[in-house]
Amino acid sequence: MDNPQTILVMLRHAPHDSSWLREGLDVALVAAALGQDVTLLFLGDGVEALRDGQQAGPLGQKGSHATLDMLAMYDIDDIRVDLESLTRRGLTVEQLNWPAALLSNDALPGLLAASASVFNF
Amino acid sequence: MLLHLLNRSPASSGVAHDVLRAMGPDDRLLLIESGVYGAVGPQATLFSALHGRCFALADDLASRGLSECCADWITVLDMQGFVMLTEETQRTVSWF
Amino acid sequence: MRYGLVVMGGPYSHQASHSALRFAQAVVDRGHRLETVFFYHDGVYNASRLSAPPQDEPHLGDAWLRLAESQGTELLVCVAAALRRGMIDEREARRHGKPAYNVEPPFELAGLGQLVEAGMTHDRLVTFSP
Repeated sequence: MDNPQTILVMLRHAPHDSSWLREGLDVALVAAALGQDVTLLFLGDGVEALRDGQQAGPLGQKGSHATLDMLAMYDIDDIRVDLESLTRRGLTVEQLNWPAALLSNDALPGLLAASASVFNF
Repeated sequence: MLLHLLNRSPASSGVAHDVLRAMGPDDRLLLIESGVYGAVGPQATLFSALHGRCFALADDLASRGLSECCADWITVLDMQGFVMLTEETQRTVSWF
Repeated sequence: MRYGLVVMGGPYSHQASHSALRFAQAVVDRGHRLETVFFYHDGVYNASRLSAPPQDEPHLGDAWLRLAESQGTELLVCVAAALRRGMIDEREARRHGKPAYNVEPPFELAGLGQLVEAGMTHDRLVTFSP
């Protein structure tokens, strides 16, 4: 895969209660390992993955932070978080446990249109 | 131009709101599975800004008893029509 | 056009597999080439050779087999999602010391890289989710 493409992975599910977050992140990590340009977008309940103060789950789930730590290792640095989703949940970007760029409320269609592949989790 | 697929009833899920925010001015929306509950009034008004680019899958309307009450401005498609929509649009994004 | 499908819903739990199979037939009927179906999340359960639905219900596993036979479609099952859920082929069963296996060709355990590649190389990739 010689020519890197922009791959958008959208994470829309909260951590802990399902595998969507982990399985979506796995797609992003693999795409990055294959040399693609990955954009990660936290949208809807997915922004909860970035809330500070989370712990490993009571049933031995690794928690989202362990997986998020992998992002830097795989050179995924284009990480965005949807402003409206944060606002609806009473969160500000300063309260997040991860450096993420704010996606303004009207920027979503442009981001989807500009990506060569879109994976929605 | 993208095709968005929605398989959730707007009455039970906030995802319909996210789809509408994600759609560009020419993007199409196809309601499938329980998404077709959104093709019936009063829920259908949520999609009224999509006149001419909102579609619903005929089989899923029929199986749910909705064939006769689908909003008249929503275009009903069979499976081949679904495939045609994917031909005409560059990419498909599934919302669930 | 070259099409790929992603199936993320479990059979008999969600409509996703049914929708994907009906869409697959329509893709073929319109003269396209259905190259790949990638099973991820609970979609990996579609690959079980041991499912035994009642006779008056559609056999989804057999429907996927017929698709592979008639169209040469690759049936790729995410290995990480599959092993966690007890979906395992002969080779992995031996490697993990398991007494049995339930994934057989034409279903094939595959890495997520093949999903990413399908998104890049196919003209269209359509996802069916639970």
